[in-house]
This record gives sequence, C-alpha cells and structure tokens, in this order.
Amino acid sequence: MLQVYLPIAEISVNLLVMLGLGAAVGFLSGMFGVGGGFLLTPLLMFSGIPPAIAVTTCANQIVASSVSGALVQWRRDNIDLKMGAVLIIGGLAGAVVGVWLVGALREAGQADLMISLSYVAFLGLIGGLMLAESIRAIQRARAGVPARPRKPGQHNWIHGLPLKMRFPRSRLYISAIPPLLIGALVGFLASFLGVGGGFVMVPALIYLLRMPTNIVIGTSLFQIIFITAIVTMLHATFNHTLDLVLAVLLIAGGVVGGHFGAQAGQKLKGEQLRLMLALIVLAVAIRILFDLVLPPDDLYSLTPLGTKL
Amino acid sequence: MKRAPAIMAFWLATIGVACADDPPAQEQVQSDISTREIAIQSNFTGIEIVLFGAIDFTSVPAIDETQYDVIMVVRGPDEPVVMRRKERTIGLWVNGPSEVFQSAPSFYAVLASRPLRAIAPEATLKKLGVGFAELDLGAEPTDEVNRARFRSSLIRLKEDRGLFLESDDAISFIGRSLFRGSVDLPVSVPIGTYTTQVYLFRDGKLLSQDDSTLQVHKVGFERIVYLLAFRYPFIYGLIAVVIAAVAGLITWAIFGRRD
Repeated sequence: MLQVYLPIAEISVNLLVMLGLGAAVGFLSGMFGVGGGFLLTPLLMFSGIPPAIAVTTCANQIVASSVSGALVQWRRDNIDLKMGAVLIIGGLAGAVVGVWLVGALREAGQADLMISLSYVAFLGLIGGLMLAESIRAIQRARAGVPARPRKPGQHNWIHGLPLKMRFPRSRLYISAIPPLLIGALVGFLASFLGVGGGFVMVPALIYLLRMPTNIVIGTSLFQIIFITAIVTMLHATFNHTLDLVLAVLLIAGGVVGGHFGAQAGQKLKGEQLRLMLALIVLAVAIRILFDLVLPPDDLYSLTPLGTKL
Repeated sequence: MKRAPAIMAFWLATIGVACADDPPAQEQVQSDISTREIAIQSNFTGIEIVLFGAIDFTSVPAIDETQYDVIMVVRGPDEPVVMRRKERTIGLWVNGPSEVFQSAPSFYAVLASRPLRAIAPEATLKKLGVGFAELDLGAEPTDEVNRARFRSSLIRLKEDRGLFLESDDAISFIGRSLFRGSVDLPVSVPIGTYTTQVYLFRDGKLLSQDDSTLQVHKVGFERIVYLLAFRYPFIYGLIAVVIAAVAGLITWAIFGRRD
C-alpha cells in the first residue's frame, strides 16, 4: 500500500501517487520549460491536500527546480544580479501581502474559494492566450510564413519614471519602479497561488523592460529561488501550512521527472509544445471551475479554530 | 430481558440519588484499555483499541439474575471548531453562514451493550453527557434553528470521518462479569489526552463508574516535524528551503552540468 502519513496535512497519502505527481509535473515543466507550480498546486488540491498547504508546499518545491535551473543559467553568465536584487526587494513586499492575505482569508473561511477562483482566472487567461498564440503559430508554419519577431512598441512610459538605475548586465538605464512592481506582483502570486510566476516575469521583463531575452530566463529563475524561499518561510512561520514530508516527496519526484521531461521536450516543436501546455492549463482551469459551480457533495464544512499545541 | 414496569419505576425514582452517592454494597466496575499510548508515525493508518472490564460482585451478598448494562465513552481533547455552510452566490458555491462551537470533542465514541435509551433514562444520560443527543459542544448562543442544523451537521461530518461514533451493540459480555468493546481510531485521529469512562448500569441505575486516560501522540520523525512546524516554525521553514536548495544543487550536478 505504501501509505505515508503527512504530519501537517494530517492525512495519509500514497507514496507512489505523490512521487508520481511530482514526477509528472516535473516532466511537464522540464518539457515546456516552465516552473510547473501552477499545475502542481491544483493537482495537489484535487488529491485532497488543503489548498493553503498545497500552495506553501509547492512554493518549497519550486525552490529546488529553480536552483538547478538557475545554476545552468549562471554557468552561461545569463543572470543580471542587480536586476534580480531589485526584483527580489519588490517580491518581498508582494510575498508579505500574499501571506497575510492567505492567513486572513483562512480565518474568514474564504481562502479555499479565493485561491480556486484566482486559479480559474489566472489559468484561464494564460491558457487562452497561449492557445491563441500557438494556433496562430501553427497556422503560420503551415502557410510557410516565417514567424515574425514582435515589433517593439513605440511609446514607452517607463523612461519617464524617476529613481533611475543602471543595469550594466542588461545594458539598461531605467527607473527601479517597474522592476519593483513586477517583483511585487510575482511575489504576491507566489505566496497566494504557490506558483513561481515565471510566466508573468518573463514577458514583463522582455516587453516592458526590454531586457535581452537570453538574460531574462536566468534572472527570472534567480529571482524565483529567493521569492519562493521567502514565501515558504513566511507561510511556515505565520500560517503553519508547510508539510515537509509532502515537500520531500514532490521534490524527489520532480527532480527525476524534470530530467526526462527536458529530454522529451527537445524532440517536439515549440508551437506543438505550447499548444499542448495551453490545453493542459485550460483543462485544469475548467476542472477547478466545475468544483466551484457544481453543487458540492456537502454544503457543510468543519474547520478547527486556533493554533495547535 | 424484560423488566417489570414496577421495578423500572422504582429505579427511575432513585436515579438522581444513585449518581451522586456511592453506597458501599454495590457492584463495582473495573476497566482497562488495550493500549494506553498510541504512537503515530509514518506508517500509521489507524488503530483499533479494545476496552475491557469486569464487574466485581464481592460486595453484593446475593447475586440475582438481573442483567448488567455497560456504556463506554472515549473522548478526545476538546477543540474549538467552526462550521460553515455553503450557499449559492452568483453561480458559485461560497461559504456563507457559520457557527462556532467552542468545545467540540475532537474524538467521541460511545459504545453500549444495548440502545442507550434502554439502558438508562434520558435524565441520567443528560447528567453524564453520554450520547450524541446529550453532547455539549459549547455552541455560542445564536438562533436555535441554525444551531440545531449546524450541530447535526458537525456530528454527521465527524461521523463520516470516523471521529464520532455511537454504537448500540459494540460491547459483548463474556460470562456475567467480563465484557469488552472495541473502537477504531482513524488515521486522522487527533493527538492529545483521551479519557475513557466505563459506566455500569443495572435496571437503569448507575452502579459504578471507572475512568482511565489514553495518550495519542506522534513519535519519531513525525513528532519532530510536528513540533518543529508549530514550535519553531522559522527553523522548520529554513530546513525545508535548505533541503529544496540542496536537492536543486544535486539535480544540477547530475543532470545540468553537461551543457
């Protein structure tokens, strides 16, 4: 049976199921080059882990995957440390807000609902955009038109902002305010949804800050290490929602899955990969929405109050 | 066994006194539990405990043919809980009204040799607080209708999880004196000090009561994790982050260095 008792979630789960879940999400994240938190958190919720515990434990798992990813980028000198530091400062503020919000919502009994709703909105948006983009890309490829690089926008309000800083590695001289805000948004998402936030960070750095694309991935991964570490610590300290046993299972599964996923990903075309990922993301969003819309099995729920011990 | 209504009425009349005093010439009950310590570790999937006891007739001169009844209560530590009811709001099912119960037992099992109402009159059960109907959950004073619905839902949810249990025929007698009953503690059994009460009844009258305690705690790795998580949460979080970082480092060392 291989049942394992999770000391904080206080449920017994199957060892192989949890390892497999970590491996499956690791495989997908390796294949698609995404963090995978936005898939892992909902999947944990589906398998009966309370949402708040799923969020924290996923954040901890992302620390592991982003460390190994960032090290690869570090070796290639693809990290802008100064930009990373500014993003982390912003992220810290966002994480504190998110951790506080989860705690307050849990007290009001609305944490599960708000986390689920945010997931529906978020995954729906991301999945929809990716689906549209990948279908267009596939149609273009069929028609034989080469994919055009996106034109840089003409208007850029960012240059008008104060607090300008020099980022030599990215060859940028811009205000620190936009990176701080981007960092804060990602920090908030990490603490509220248990996601790394790479899918927000990467486009924001490329299109808003005009950072060179090769540096964006590394800097994003570098920042995610610290944000998810901070989020893990904050949730563990103030909300007691980190399950170490579950985290270790997910990390172990994710390490192996990630490796094979990366190998599999190299054999598929970019547009096809994005189409598949878009469909998976949309399926998860629809499943969460169903749980909110369909009449629940039980209208009543019971929650212990107050801290333990 | 049927009892004459006259005898029944007699005992009913004396119940109030019987609970308070303990006249010397009465049958006494002694009991024990199969295990006084339950250790939860990683392979824990629930456990069955056996409560057993004996009726001591030595102080009773003439043993007649009357039948004895036994009720056992196993009760976990009280905890405050909040019950919430979902309501449909703009197409979504959202937690709406709630009710706080200040002292709901985290675990509550009542085992009896016969239906409770047949063993003792309601007044006695109420006094002892035995049975779901008589359980004091520490509800805060709100409107009656809502409270009754929340109360019954709380009991139902706890029953579904195996944390509340009321069973009429769970105690079996071995001969006239010995008896035993068993309780299943589920995987989610709350930790803490449990009390067990064994009540001996005859003809609706409480003859004797014997109490014991039982410890449920986490041991080994599970205990360390639990204690760290709630007593030293910062260190706990730090350990988790370090484990994750080291795992990432190892992953990179094995798979990522080639390129």
